[in-house]
Amino acid sequence: MGAEIVTISTDTKFTHLAWQRHEGELSDVSYSMGADTTGKLGRLFGVYDTTTGLTRRGTFLVDPTGRLVMAEVSADNIGRNIDELMRKFKASLYVSRKTTEACPAKWKDEESRTLSPSARMVGRVREALES
Amino acid sequence: MQDYRNPILVGDSVPDFTLDTYEPSAQDFGSFELAKAKAAGRWSILFFYPADFTFV
Repeated sequence: MGAEIVTISTDTKFTHLAWQRHEGELSDVSYSMGADTTGKLGRLFGVYDTTTGLTRRGTFLVDPTGRLVMAEVSADNIGRNIDELMRKFKASLYVSRKTTEACPAKWKDEESRTLSPSARMVGRVREALES
Repeated sequence: MQDYRNPILVGDSVPDFTLDTYEPSAQDFGSFELAKAKAAGRWSILFFYPADFTFV
């Protein structure tokens, strides 16, 4: 389940280096630390705050064809949870392989129940989940 | 990089871009290119946050 992970702020790569070396919580990181110093990438994804010049907490998932499949932006004082992201990433991988299925709200992993939307399921989602 | 006026939405194609990076695994500077990730058949997770030296 590999993905290129890039963390991005408007800090420079030099600041990223200094922060990663200084902050013990970051001693084991293996992802890339991207420098969006102009904020152009942040603007592209709608997370650049023109009043502060900083980027908001936004997470975006791009599939191998370059299509944006998930976007999530939260307020500055809400930290993100890696489990929440991983569930959506796993679900995205799953439906990219099984294109007629959908992962419902309670989907957790490959063992979880999926749905195959069709005319028969309209108004009968509960029955489809229980059958 | 082009200056984009309208943010992209889910379902849109993300334009190719390149970002300067620091690569902790190599303890060196590098770059991230979306085109390279696509060519390698890889998914990309972009994780924006406000500022270094704060919580993420």
